[in-house]
Amino acid sequence: MSLAARTPRAPVVLPLAALAVGVAVWWLLSIALALPAYVLPPPTAVADRLVANPDLYVASALTTLRRIVLGGAVGVLVGAALAVAVVEVRWLRRALVPYLVAARVLPKIAVAPVLLIYVGTGEGTGIAFVALVAFFPMVVSTVAGLEGVPEAHMDLLRSLDAGRLATLVHLRVPHAVPDAFAGLKQSTALAVVGSVIAEWLVSTEGLGALILFALEDVQVDVMLAALAVLFAEGLALYGLVVAAERRVGWSQTGGAPGPGQDRSDAAAADRRSSQTGAR
Amino acid sequence: MIAVEDLTVAYEDVVAVEGIDLSVDAGRFVTVIGPSGCGKTTLLRAVGGLETPTRGRVRVDGDPPERAQQRANVGFVFQRHTLLPWKTALENVTFLRRLAGKPPDPDGARDLLERAGLAGFADARPAALSGGMRQRVAIARALHLGADVLLMDEPFGELDELTRETMGLEVRRVWRGERKTVLFVTHSVPEAVLLGDRCVVVRGSPGRIVDSIDVDLPRPRDRDVLESDPFQERVAAVRAALSGGAT
Repeated sequence: MSLAARTPRAPVVLPLAALAVGVAVWWLLSIALALPAYVLPPPTAVADRLVANPDLYVASALTTLRRIVLGGAVGVLVGAALAVAVVEVRWLRRALVPYLVAARVLPKIAVAPVLLIYVGTGEGTGIAFVALVAFFPMVVSTVAGLEGVPEAHMDLLRSLDAGRLATLVHLRVPHAVPDAFAGLKQSTALAVVGSVIAEWLVSTEGLGALILFALEDVQVDVMLAALAVLFAEGLALYGLVVAAERRVGWSQTGGAPGPGQDRSDAAAADRRSSQTGAR
Repeated sequence: MIAVEDLTVAYEDVVAVEGIDLSVDAGRFVTVIGPSGCGKTTLLRAVGGLETPTRGRVRVDGDPPERAQQRANVGFVFQRHTLLPWKTALENVTFLRRLAGKPPDPDGARDLLERAGLAGFADARPAALSGGMRQRVAIARALHLGADVLLMDEPFGELDELTRETMGLEVRRVWRGERKTVLFVTHSVPEAVLLGDRCVVVRGSPGRIVDSIDVDLPRPRDRDVLESDPFQERVAAVRAALSGGAT
């Protein structure tokens, strides 16, 4: 029997234990090596920073969050809408999809300075950049989902002479939900990255900007405190997306994505069916 | 009823079926048998309007296939992968009828699931059902659509032999109750003889109808029929037609 199987609530307990061990090792190292605070401050120093000036971190977190949510929403919505458009309009698909796929090799960060020229140095540039990085995974994944409908399902709707709209609404969109969520998860992670990069380039507010300011003063404890808040923020956003997926999503292997749904369900169902007496 | 006259379906580089004449009277159960690649599935799809005839004519209850589709008068049961994985068993059963704009009949849907031995599985998603259970849901969906014509394309092709026989007899029992017109494609000789009032043999490339064998076995049919001499005689006749021997 594995450690994970013997530990109750292992999915929660084990990661928390690993975190505790990591922080303990960090703390011991900072004491044992007696490193100066500008190289490796102890975790207590980082915690002190957070406790001493919570307003700074909350305000910075909210600024970053606002940019992530606004830019991310624009990128994801435009991405989803464009996905529907290219799937429904054949010439649009032929013209655009090669570029949407090829855009993967373009480092989006290289586009940011160009945005400075065209959008300016205001908040709009930050939001535009986050939208840009969030857009690509969403559109590519959603196109794959909308187009991946099995022929047998298409035949089913053809057998009723169902139109394009009905096919889109009843077949393509629901079929694309798992792929769209896969794209949304990537977009969410990238939106956090995009927001930090935007702050480095155009903003004086937010967690990314805070890290940069702390660097100038070699305040490693402030940098680590901001990093911890940023990590928690990214994790929370990602968690929200996963929670939404569990609510509305479906998967090929189970009723809803998540643990505990596997092939053995079918075998169990078969046994129950034969016991209840299939006539 | 189904009327097929001089049907030819050609794809870009291959003629699938040629010169097919077939008539299925209303309320009859006709099986189509032939080796893989003989065009029997193409024939079925052309009847249901999923393939466009290159030549010839198809009528379903007097309508061209597109009209029959619009009236939701053809119900398909395909070989596999046709339940929508994001819908429950019950939602899958009601889905096509809803889409066709027919008046909803939730009680009828539940009743069909119950008769298929799936009373406790109305809210289960397809992933939690076995292959046989999924096909029973697919059949219930086709019946719930309320079409007069059922087109079945090797619906039990992926099931083991025992389940296959049980479900075949179940479909026949339901058919007797509802008096649907059924065209049933299979590559199993015993299945074709067990289920059909008539067994149409398709062979060759392009596929043509080479024989049509009446199966005047007693009904209702059950497993005992499989051991009877008349059944074995029909099986032998179909096998002979399939291998090109005298009939």
